[in-house]
Amino acid sequence: MTDNIVIETKALTKRYRPGIVAVDGLSMNVKRGEVYGFVGPNGAGKTTTLRMLLGLVHPTSGDCSVLGHKPGSPEVLARIGTIVETPAFYPYLCGRDNLKVLARLASVPYSRIDPALKEVDLLDRAQDKFKNYSLGMKQRLGMAAALLKDPELLILDEPTNGLDPAGMAEMRGLIRELGRGERTVLLSSHLMGELEQICDRIGVIKKGKIIAEGALDELRHGSRLKVKAEPLARAQELLGAMPGVGKIEQDTDALMVEADPASAAAINRSLVEAGIEVSELYMMKLSLENVFLDLTEENKQRG
Amino acid sequence: MDSLIAELILLRKRVATWILLGFWLFMTILFGYVLPYYAYKGDIRFRERGGQVLLTTLLPHNLVTNLLSGFPFFGGTIVLILGVLAIGSEYSWGTLTPAFTQRASRLKVFFSKILALAITLVPFVLLVFLLGFIASVLIALKEDQPIDLPSAWLFVRALGISWFILAAWATFGVLIAVLSRGTALAIGLGIIYGLVLEGVISEFANEISLLSYISKAFLRTNGYSLLSSLGASVTGEGPGSFSGSLVSGTQAGLVLALEIVVFIAVAATLIKRRDVAGSS
Ligand SMILES: Nc1ncnc2c1ncn2[C@@H]1O[C@H](COP(=O)(O)OP(=O)(O)OP(=O)(O)O)[C@@H](O)[C@H]1O
Ligand SMILES: [Mg+2]
Repeated sequence: MTDNIVIETKALTKRYRPGIVAVDGLSMNVKRGEVYGFVGPNGAGKTTTLRMLLGLVHPTSGDCSVLGHKPGSPEVLARIGTIVETPAFYPYLCGRDNLKVLARLASVPYSRIDPALKEVDLLDRAQDKFKNYSLGMKQRLGMAAALLKDPELLILDEPTNGLDPAGMAEMRGLIRELGRGERTVLLSSHLMGELEQICDRIGVIKKGKIIAEGALDELRHGSRLKVKAEPLARAQELLGAMPGVGKIEQDTDALMVEADPASAAAINRSLVEAGIEVSELYMMKLSLENVFLDLTEENKQRG
Repeated sequence: MDSLIAELILLRKRVATWILLGFWLFMTILFGYVLPYYAYKGDIRFRERGGQVLLTTLLPHNLVTNLLSGFPFFGGTIVLILGVLAIGSEYSWGTLTPAFTQRASRLKVFFSKILALAITLVPFVLLVFLLGFIASVLIALKEDQPIDLPSAWLFVRALGISWFILAAWATFGVLIAVLSRGTALAIGLGIIYGLVLEGVISEFANEISLLSYISKAFLRTNGYSLLSSLGASVTGEGPGSFSGSLVSGTQAGLVLALEIVVFIAVAATLIKRRDVAGSS
């Protein structure tokens, strides 16, 4: 079982100082070969979690294991490629020398450097000092550094941060490419839409807790029925009394109804039979962005 | 070995390293040879007051004693900056994160850095002696004086002791940079401590016995004590002069060695234990 689970956390908690609980009893697992998206608003605790998985931050309580070991041990680090937060490099060294330093620390031969630079399309600027790189180039150098070890696990904290739309698309393509086959990728972002295109599974984190987790389709399953009818208030009343209908929200001149798509015809029939004029009724596939906003909003109201 | 090479790349390719080295060489030769020789040649008053004594100190025979006095003073301060920069910048740049997530353990990275610093101090010692030797030979030739070298044994001890004094200052720099997690405060406080605080307290130490006890632990007190055990004159006037009381060479050597060990051990413990969470 553990063989299939690459990252496992149990009730992982990090309290920075009294009052600041960055990660709050977080439990999740990432399986071998999958691309796992870790999504949450600013300050949710994504970076802190990833730092704990890399042995950079010591958990206050709880357990985590990475590739079957305690995080941060040399054997484990040797198998992980990572970008944490903004890419940090030595500003006075050129891109290639920065990678030489990291290659030495990773005990990886220099021959890996140029292929990694080529992969992120930075070969022709490898001679330039890091401090003169644009934000996008810095981010790409970070990705090249993550690839040096040809790692079986990639832990990437907002790798598209600072990239232009073309760069973002390219980075997404690269990550998708890298995530093929056996390699496992754990990817954080605060843009659900971005993860939607890359990830097999997603965990939504909010205030240090996972509030939803699952495959894309599972998360999306709360698709909505959009109902435009006259009079709207009566339609709402009637729908509220129907079995199989969940939450109903009013959206200017229409109702957003949580219901099984298969029941659309039945709903239409009962509305019409009750003398309500139905002008529109269709399934809206929620984008993950909506699901995400929904989840985080909901949580905000409760908390 | 790999991580040592990494740290050597970091030091060697950094312009600040070379600026500090150049500045140190410039100051030593300027205050050790150029200005004294100029005073000897040009300043009549100086000549009357003891010109011949002055000329003797500038000759190759006195190379060791003439050069040494700068080590516990501005030499120490310069390599303190070197030590601060070597680790403090990693905090400012956030580069501990990539450094600690490659493969080498935190302690391995840290001790490689210490070792790389120790190696970098070697040219700080050798080049000063080389330039000092050249300057003294030039003066001897110009003044028609004999070119006698100090004894090889004195020379070897002087090289070792100079390196050792610099090592104490550099590791002190490493410690305060780790404590303050950065460069600015560490350099500021380090310079004030080394140039002002130790000097002022040593002056009062002659009157207040508690202070005299404390001043026995000072980097400068012990540095000068080591020099004086080699026969260098450390009292008197000028920027490198020292007015505190000295201890025996053996005691100074032991105290400095202990301090180096403590500086490194405290810094290493902090490096190992602390969270690496952004630039905080
Ligand atoms: N070194 C630190 N000291 C104190 N508090 C910290 C530290 N690092 C993070 N925090 C706090 O922990 C919480 C989580 O921060 P974290 O950086 O993990 O969030 P995040 O999900 O990565 O956010 P973002 O999307 O903005 O990157 C925040 O409230 C933050 O202020
Ligand atoms: Mg973050």
